[in-house]
Amino acid sequence: MKLEALKHFLPWFTLLVLVTIIGIANPAFFDPAGLIGLVADIVPLFIMALGMTFVIYIGGIDLSVQQVANLVTVITTVYLANFGMGVAVICILVGFLFGAFSGFITTRLFVPSFVSTLAMGFVALSSARYLSGERALSMDTTLRNENFGWIFGNTAGIPHELAIAGVLLFLAWFLQTRTTFGRALKAVGSGELAAVASGLKVDRIKILAFGISGTLAAIAGLMFSVKLSGGDAHIANGFLLLSIVAVLVGGTPLTGGVGGVINTVVGTLIVLVIRVAMVYLEIDATQQQLVFGVVLIAAIALTIDRSKLRGVVK
Amino acid sequence: MVDATAKPAFVLRLLSRNRIVKWAPLLVLSALVLFFPLIEWLEDFRAGDAHAYLIDSRFFSVRNAARIGISATPALIVAIGATFIIIMGSIDLSMEGTVSVCAVVFASVFIGLGGTMLSWAWLALPLSMVAGAMIGFVNGLVHVKLKIPSFMASLAIGFVGTGLALLLTRGDRIRVEDPVFRALLTERWFNFPVMVYIALVFLLVAWFIQSRTRLGRNFYAVGGGEELAHASGLNVERIRLLGFTLAGTFFSVGALLAVGRIGIAETATGNNFMFVSITAVVVGGTALWGGIGGVWNTLAGVLIVNVINNGMVVVGLPDFLQDAVLGILVITAVVLSTDRKSISFVK
Repeated sequence: MKLEALKHFLPWFTLLVLVTIIGIANPAFFDPAGLIGLVADIVPLFIMALGMTFVIYIGGIDLSVQQVANLVTVITTVYLANFGMGVAVICILVGFLFGAFSGFITTRLFVPSFVSTLAMGFVALSSARYLSGERALSMDTTLRNENFGWIFGNTAGIPHELAIAGVLLFLAWFLQTRTTFGRALKAVGSGELAAVASGLKVDRIKILAFGISGTLAAIAGLMFSVKLSGGDAHIANGFLLLSIVAVLVGGTPLTGGVGGVINTVVGTLIVLVIRVAMVYLEIDATQQQLVFGVVLIAAIALTIDRSKLRGVVK
Repeated sequence: MVDATAKPAFVLRLLSRNRIVKWAPLLVLSALVLFFPLIEWLEDFRAGDAHAYLIDSRFFSVRNAARIGISATPALIVAIGATFIIIMGSIDLSMEGTVSVCAVVFASVFIGLGGTMLSWAWLALPLSMVAGAMIGFVNGLVHVKLKIPSFMASLAIGFVGTGLALLLTRGDRIRVEDPVFRALLTERWFNFPVMVYIALVFLLVAWFIQSRTRLGRNFYAVGGGEELAHASGLNVERIRLLGFTLAGTFFSVGALLAVGRIGIAETATGNNFMFVSITAVVVGGTALWGGIGGVWNTLAGVLIVNVINNGMVVVGLPDFLQDAVLGILVITAVVLSTDRKSISFVK
């Protein structure tokens, strides 16, 4: 295998290094049941990051995901009694519309996605605060278990959360690598002007990418609310930066056109492993944030494939 | 290509359009300043009370201007630091961590050396600025030497900064109650607290750096086209390093003003600075892709964001609606101050 081909595996290599370090320090880390539990816990973050991947892949950013997820937790909690499982459809629709509208503002009004998605996030936040009446709401336990209890079940030792993540990953991967839409995404990410010149409907593609991000953020929010059996306008706070980090550390740079959904799997696992490592290595709570930042820099320095950054690193 | 000499009319039109775009942030700001008193007037008119437009306004008053000034000051200095980076076409997201560290370093050294400006404790001020410069320098090193995109490098450095602040304080708050230092807020000249004037001085310094120094011009050169800047013999790496160091220094000044405003330094001192300052820079008309804008734009942007926030409170908009209105107005402001004919797409 040539050195060039090895570059694809840089994120995996980083992950392996991190896992080895923890494994040596504390072999208890390799307990399979514990590992599956850890991975299942991070599924909502992964789903959010999966959506973010599409937007970063085309060179944009989506800063609204956390607020969309917050809004969805409120919607789920408020309307579960009225619509039962159907509330999931509403949530997904809301997520898609928020994302698509951000995309519309970005492409048609020429507002950079950094600002448009941030602003749409504020709109989502206001909606969530209005709908929840500024309170933390909780769900009716029986209703929750009837409609969404299956999410926390197990089949043959595999938590259903993981299965959901797997299905979404497969869909995202299929979309990215096996459809014309996926190829178009790559074209837009690699060079938007060239994509326009070759006749692609770039605006529509970008709006759809933002829509996907919003949709997956909504699914992540749905899982949050079911998991925590409630919703409020701030429940998912803290997940925005983590989901961006998961995408970037997996090797999808902000320049677009490189990386993809599989990279985000690795990226999310790297974030998970760094977090878990601090528990296993018994790092003091006041030091964890510092260590997280330093390890992150090391991880990203190891991971990113600089040959595709085209000379200029911005 | 358009032959400029052959079509003077077209050039004239372009010039005026350019001019409108250039002054758009100021126009938006003026419109907002006139808009909120209008709402107040309408309310009183509906209730049948006597209300002279602008004269009776609670929003359009010196007291309220001072209030806006106080809330805008720390964010302005932080946003100015970010402006230099954004002009280069990079981005700096380390402000939350840097501000927290600088605030905490200042407060602990200040208390440690006696806790009053009249002793050696004043040394905490320059020390905190050195700390900010150092964090910025490390940020630049990580970005330039490890070739990590600035978005990621600065985000991670921001995490490190927040972590460092947490480590230094162990989660505690440090109170700075020295009356001489707090005079930043309490002492007023012509109705405005001293911190507003200090911010103006730093704004002028930033403007001087931007327009009258080689480094300032180089920021624009790098932002306008890095390969070209490199080809014309500029040491792009050095410029970037200096830029991030400068930004870190401004972040620390912002931190000092933030401590002066609330009298408390803690890990959370830096919270919210990131999105507010980047939003303000963009709203002011500095393009995220680099090469356009400057510190005066940032002043307009910071004022727009703070006027909106303040105005919504003054006219009594329900709490839960304020985020959404801010978001919508920010989008509107950016739309109005973007020259859509000169760009083909945004990311």
